[in-house]
Amino acid sequence: MERVNRFTQAYSQAPWRKQLQVIGLFSLGLIMVALVAGIYLSVTARAATTGRSIQEMRRNIESLKLSNADLEMLLASITSSAEMEKRAIELGFKRIAPGSILYLEVPGYIHRQPTVSAKPPGPTVSASSGLSMDYTQSLFDWLRERVLDPAAPLLEKGK
Amino acid sequence: MIADYSWRYTTLGLLMTTVASFIIVQMVRIQTSPQAEVFRNQGAVYAGSWKTIQPTRGLIYDRWGNLLAGNTTVYEVGVELTHVRNPSTIALALNAVVGSDYNQVFAAASQQPSKTSVYAVLANFITEEQKVRLERFAEEMEAAYFGTNDENRPSLAGLRFFPHLQRSYPEKDLASNVLGFVSREGKGYFGIEEKFNDLLIGAPQVIWVSNDPSQVEEIPEAPIGASLVLTIDREIQTEIESILDAALLRTGSEAGTIVVMDPRNGEILAMSTTPRLDLNEYWRYGDIFPGETPFNRAVSKAYEPGSVFKVITMAAALDNGVVTPNTTYVDTGTIEIGGIYIRNWNWGAWGTQDMLGCMQHSLNVCLAWVAKELGTNSFYRYLQDFGFGRVTGVELAGEAAGRLKRPGDSDWYEADLATNSFGQGLSATTVQMLMATSAIANDGKMVTPRILKSVIDKGRQYNTSPQIAGYPISAEPAHTLTEMLAISLETESSEALVEGYRVAGKTGTAEIPTPSGYSSTLTHASFVGWGPVDDPQFIIYVWLEKPEISPWGSVVAAPVFREVVERLVVQIDLPPDHVRMDMQNR
Repeated sequence: MERVNRFTQAYSQAPWRKQLQVIGLFSLGLIMVALVAGIYLSVTARAATTGRSIQEMRRNIESLKLSNADLEMLLASITSSAEMEKRAIELGFKRIAPGSILYLEVPGYIHRQPTVSAKPPGPTVSASSGLSMDYTQSLFDWLRERVLDPAAPLLEKGK
Repeated sequence: MIADYSWRYTTLGLLMTTVASFIIVQMVRIQTSPQAEVFRNQGAVYAGSWKTIQPTRGLIYDRWGNLLAGNTTVYEVGVELTHVRNPSTIALALNAVVGSDYNQVFAAASQQPSKTSVYAVLANFITEEQKVRLERFAEEMEAAYFGTNDENRPSLAGLRFFPHLQRSYPEKDLASNVLGFVSREGKGYFGIEEKFNDLLIGAPQVIWVSNDPSQVEEIPEAPIGASLVLTIDREIQTEIESILDAALLRTGSEAGTIVVMDPRNGEILAMSTTPRLDLNEYWRYGDIFPGETPFNRAVSKAYEPGSVFKVITMAAALDNGVVTPNTTYVDTGTIEIGGIYIRNWNWGAWGTQDMLGCMQHSLNVCLAWVAKELGTNSFYRYLQDFGFGRVTGVELAGEAAGRLKRPGDSDWYEADLATNSFGQGLSATTVQMLMATSAIANDGKMVTPRILKSVIDKGRQYNTSPQIAGYPISAEPAHTLTEMLAISLETESSEALVEGYRVAGKTGTAEIPTPSGYSSTLTHASFVGWGPVDDPQFIIYVWLEKPEISPWGSVVAAPVFREVVERLVVQIDLPPDHVRMDMQNR
């Protein structure tokens, strides 16, 4: 029995070493938690900053839309029929009489065509989200996706 | 030694465990307590808001892409009640700059802020210029009274501006009767704006906008409402509005209408009626259109067209074969049909006349005889085929169907056959007359008048197609009648003739029905004409109401037709007949 005890004592670790291991493991766990918390905070902060940027951009878009509408109206006003006639008269132009027009045949001349402001009807493409997943998924979403579908990034690149 | 102090660790551990347990229990209790819902609701108030995304109202263009109806920025002006320092100054400023009622603004700006009331609207739809003036006032006041501690010092603090779009019309009153207008509530009234209100306004979307930037989500794009391209040509519209205004002044007419259409496809190139309204000041509608004044006479006001209708009667008779251009009729100055005696416009007898003479001299008696020869059933079947008594389907709000009594109707009498043959006793709108006459100008093919050329929606342009409204007559009688009417104008040396261009047409002078019978002094003077005769590219309808200088269509309406053609051929690059034929023969 004593022999066994000696043997055990010979191969057992010193108490201070055991305490060190416990402290080490605890510290490791603490560091891991701190690391995850840090990453989470960092990602959340970035998401919040990006969110604010998006909100700001939305306001800019709204402002630009209004500005565009105003500019379009301004252009229409300064090229309106009454304005153009006034400017033409100021520049010395006169209304032409039908009898004073000289008609020339110009081969290949294409007569003025009615306005085409957009593409003609065609196959419709389903609208896809313009906001990347990078801006919408949380860290846990990202981890879950990587665990459940590790090949997803490769597939996305392949598209 | 260790055992002596171990109770301290045990006590500390128990204490910390108890505190932690208490915190956890309290958290669970708060989450599940009845008050939890109240807290959640309070939180939700600040979490975000529901926002209605109102799409920008679609634009309206003429056929060449000139903007006829767009949108411009206006502002809602309000106050943040917690920041208001001097409601009196705010009320004075708005009264001076916007014209708002002082008392109303003062009362609104004087409200005490509360949980439910933190903002008050003071005025809306103020212009950029007014906003800038108010902002300048605010800056000047702040500079003038900077550092003053007087609580009653003048101040516009708290004033806020929120921009939004409002309908605007760069061409003001041009084509106003066609376009209609949009109220401040965003609803279209009259014309295109009313007819296509749903299309122009788009689909509003209600979305949740979170205030938490980490929960920001993509806001769906609310596409602009569909934009419309009209068949209207802005330059032609300008010309005919100018011609119409001058004609009204010259003839002393009460009102007038001119419509220009392409008979080959029904495209309305210009439509001018009176009165007109600067659409940017639509609130003057009540003053400009008093009582039952129609917004667009061309589509909403049916009238007895008079002798221009003889074109339809003659077309039906030629198509049916009951007469030819050479058929003669001995005009004794009167004919009895259904117990009433029909007489000519001058109460004279014109003797033996062929059908060309009947049209040239616009003989009521002859045309009543033609209708009688055609037969009652056949005559009314033709009128129905020509589209009378029902709307044409032109894409404008408020189209009237006119009135066509038919055999079998309780108020139809045999005498109506006679009066209808020369355009009395029935009513039709200008667009109905144009549609019917288009069959004669277009080889018997009648086209539906249309004013919508294409729709631009979600980045695609959808063109509309010409609609054939029917084939009331065949091509041969259409050509024959066109030739007859051209010769008729040339023989009469009509005021409608245009140098270099051969045109066909017919005048009309209709007495106006009153409750006590037809007025002997007031008339509707009309002219319908088309050209060039060999290849009609335009059809024009002129209608002047109650002209003062002369009651006759040949005197007041025919010259207007000529003026319109003279301007129109320049705008549509239509060379004189001899030039065009030379080019074709090369």
